[in-house]
Amino acid sequence: MQTKLFLTPAEVATELAVSPATVLRLIHRGDLPAILVSERIYRIPSAGFELYKAGKLRVAAPAPVRDVEQQPDLRGDERLPVAPAPARTSR
Amino acid sequence: MATLRELQVHLGTLATILWNYGASFPDPTLDRYADTGNLGFVFTAELPGSQQPRAATVRMAELWQRDGRDAYRRREYAYDFVEHPLARRRAFHGHDPDHFAREFRVLVHEHCEEALGRPTCQHYYGLPVDAHEAIRRFASVWGQPGPLRCADLQCMSS
Repeated sequence: MQTKLFLTPAEVATELAVSPATVLRLIHRGDLPAILVSERIYRIPSAGFELYKAGKLRVAAPAPVRDVEQQPDLRGDERLPVAPAPARTSR
Repeated sequence: MATLRELQVHLGTLATILWNYGASFPDPTLDRYADTGNLGFVFTAELPGSQQPRAATVRMAELWQRDGRDAYRRREYAYDFVEHPLARRRAFHGHDPDHFAREFRVLVHEHCEEALGRPTCQHYYGLPVDAHEAIRRFASVWGQPGPLRCADLQCMSS
């Protein structure tokens, strides 16, 4: 059986036995990971909800610094575009 | 402008947002480049999904140019989102700013592919975005049916 990728606030509310308003408060406080799919419509990633239930959500910490010899080229293999030449106009 | 410490926190926060969506990836590092003195990071996160092993990938990259003793200014970025089950791509890029300024009088561009690997347009005009906005916009289409609305963007070069 495939797991649903996202849950609605109502589904999360049922599973947690709280009201949908409480779920929205958890989202707004940043306690429950959620994505905004359109104005005022939230979805909760199922994987994130599992982390929440297990008490395994991470808390942000400063990333470590590493010394690297060479700066990378962020362009990768992308070809740079060139603007088309302006059309010539004759008088 | 940001200090090294602020960039460490910035990167840690981005990684935490993605981890808490259920993404998997190694702990990213803020890299200090010996050849330029600049800072930056590049990491790729695999988002969860029902079609394993690959559902969607998010690649986040930034380059911060040194602009003082402990001051850095974001010079380049590349935020990419590829959704494999739906075979599509969205990206916000701000690399090679000198080239784009010279050719198109803009610093940044976007990519949008309704059909992965078959873009209608190679580069679209766009506005600068920060990493949080990029993640928010990627997440808003992640797993959602319907088009990416590439046709609403203005093509820079085809």
